[in-house]
Amino acid sequence: MADLRVEKLAQVIVDYSLAVQPGDLFEITGTWLAAPLIEAVYESALRRGAQPYVNATLPGLEELFLAQADKEQLRHVSLIEQLVVRQFDARIDLMSVENTKALSQVDPARQVERNRAYKDLWQERRGRQEQGGLRECYALFPTQGYAQDAEMSLRVFEDLVYRACLVEEADPVAAWHEVNRRQQEIVDYLNIKETLRIVAPGTEVTLSVAGRRFINCSGTVNLPDGEVFTSPVEDSVDGHITFTYPVVTRGREVDGARLWFKGGRVVKASAEKNEAFLHQMLDTDEGARRLGEFAIGTNPYMTHFTRNAHLDEKIAGTIHLALGNAFPKAGGVNQSAIHWDMVCDLRQGEIYADGQLFYRAGEFLGGLSWPFRPE
Amino acid sequence: MADLHIERIAAVLVDYSVSVRQGDLVQIAGGPIAEPLIKEIYRLTLARGAHPYVRILLPGLQELLLEHADTSQLEHVSLLDTLFVERFDARILIESETNTKRFSQSDPSKQVIHQAAGRELKETGLLRIASGACRVCWTIFPTPAYAQDAEMSLRGFEEMLSKACFVDQEDPIAAWREEERSQAQVVQYLAGKRELRLVAPDTDLRVSIEGRAFRACAGTQNFPDGEIYSCPIEDSAGGHVFFPFPVREEGREMRGIRLWFEGGRVVRESAEQNESYLTRVLDTDAGSRVLGEFAFGTNRGVQRPTGNMMLDEKMAGTVHLALGHGYAEAGGVNQSSVHWDLVCDLRQDSAVYADGQMFYKNGRFLIGS
Repeated sequence: MADLRVEKLAQVIVDYSLAVQPGDLFEITGTWLAAPLIEAVYESALRRGAQPYVNATLPGLEELFLAQADKEQLRHVSLIEQLVVRQFDARIDLMSVENTKALSQVDPARQVERNRAYKDLWQERRGRQEQGGLRECYALFPTQGYAQDAEMSLRVFEDLVYRACLVEEADPVAAWHEVNRRQQEIVDYLNIKETLRIVAPGTEVTLSVAGRRFINCSGTVNLPDGEVFTSPVEDSVDGHITFTYPVVTRGREVDGARLWFKGGRVVKASAEKNEAFLHQMLDTDEGARRLGEFAIGTNPYMTHFTRNAHLDEKIAGTIHLALGNAFPKAGGVNQSAIHWDMVCDLRQGEIYADGQLFYRAGEFLGGLSWPFRPE
Repeated sequence: MADLHIERIAAVLVDYSVSVRQGDLVQIAGGPIAEPLIKEIYRLTLARGAHPYVRILLPGLQELLLEHADTSQLEHVSLLDTLFVERFDARILIESETNTKRFSQSDPSKQVIHQAAGRELKETGLLRIASGACRVCWTIFPTPAYAQDAEMSLRGFEEMLSKACFVDQEDPIAAWREEERSQAQVVQYLAGKRELRLVAPDTDLRVSIEGRAFRACAGTQNFPDGEIYSCPIEDSAGGHVFFPFPVREEGREMRGIRLWFEGGRVVRESAEQNESYLTRVLDTDAGSRVLGEFAFGTNRGVQRPTGNMMLDEKMAGTVHLALGHGYAEAGGVNQSSVHWDLVCDLRQDSAVYADGQMFYKNGRFLIGS
């Protein structure tokens, strides 16, 4: 049975997120599990006069590659990726993995080797993105793998994701425009502040955002979306924070993580589960001990923790901090091979900006808010 | 389920058909339904030190393109296809249809525009194959759709395909080398001959093959394989041919095709079903009414017509003729965006003569072993 929500999501991607234009070279990539959405996006793009290219993958190949490739093969940079990065106008990456733990047994050193080979190309890609030459969006297509991580049936998980993508609104494209406008008010408010203080059970941390820009994330780069973020001043973070949700990365889960900051650096860390892995991540490089991101999730339809950073960082009533690489467009300078998002529930917390309480119990105060509310 | 011998098939494709070597850029393309075979080829290609690129072809896209694309979109030549055709060392292309009739409602004129746009690239590809710069093998993965066309169960179809691929045998690569040797005897016999005459029910056709060599096909460009082909002299075909098996082109099925040749060109055509489509294909371009191929099928694993040209043209006891593009490696010069195979049944009341000498009778060669 055709799911109309898939067609509406395709419309949002093509008409809003990437604003696909006639003649655009447009890559659509994802595993074949996302075939219904791939086809819907392909059709929408054709109707807009673009040149859509579908680059569909098989689940499991990446694991096979990382397990078996020799050095020469690990260093090979895909000619297709080069073509897309250098010549394409837009691309949608439909995250649609079958098994979220497929890479759990892969030797991290081999992943590092692979990432190193792509470093120059990714830098080129960022350059083209920043100049507006390449528009990219990452959207999540609901699969059994993601639903399993979220401890939900696929049907319930689909409901969650599609609602959060606003495709159940009467006019999803108009809805995202409205989100963009309302979140801009939050961003404008924060952009003239210097110091943020976050207080919650197990958390008391201050950080400087002086001279940094907050970015309004409202469906152009991620779907679902809903967050405002910046990169805090690298040496400004002081205090401690308790992450109420498990941190999931590279197929591993760190529970009950706590971090202590001094002068911007993590000076102490603990976890209830997988603490050794937490330390290993912190020791990746010098930049891995500093914050690359501070963000507030704003999507009220994201009501459940799903063990998927792409979704969980959007949950209204949470903040997330990322260790590692910072965002130059937000003014961040920290560099690291990692960018590790950690989500903290703020439904019993408060945030102060230059001493003014503007966020309490998961809600913005003073007329700031999202335009839509779940029933 | 019958044993598909996926590992043997992958081994033949990688180590025999396209002989993957270290450092090769290798494309592996197929539909999602062929996933087990694609993965095994991918694994083996990695093991040979090459760079495998997998291209998963989603079944619904081409239909959407033909339905929604405007002319400029239809005329766009894919940069990805260009990359694969112009730069890659080896390509394994897996046909794996889930519905062989999915283009039945598509506008044929749009298909023609799209094909014409790809013609130059196709020729580049054929030249790279002819020069040995790129080794390309087309293969087929058994799907319910193919079984349905063949009027067989999937299990029965899988068993037949295994036999046709020789993968029911312990050492398939050795079997393909033996097939190559046996084809070579026919090739040798036909070397230096000037005229072929084909006689079968409702069929009497003469073509000149003077100066054109026959070539053996034993699993390198098609898998399964089994044919001996050449390109007849372009203006030489005269007579008429009846093609009893159903023929599919872009999702349309034609039955009972008859062609009349004069001076190398089809001057009259008829079909019991879809005749207007037949005429349209023949009118594609200047070269699409001229023969680009004359070939004998030699594969005894293909025991009955399946409605799939890749298999039917290999069927032992048949000859197939192709309208359109002539292969340069066999001396062909005919140019066309079409290369359209039609199979003629020679198993009964049939014979083929070379310069007046009968060398093939009722489906069997009278030469060699």
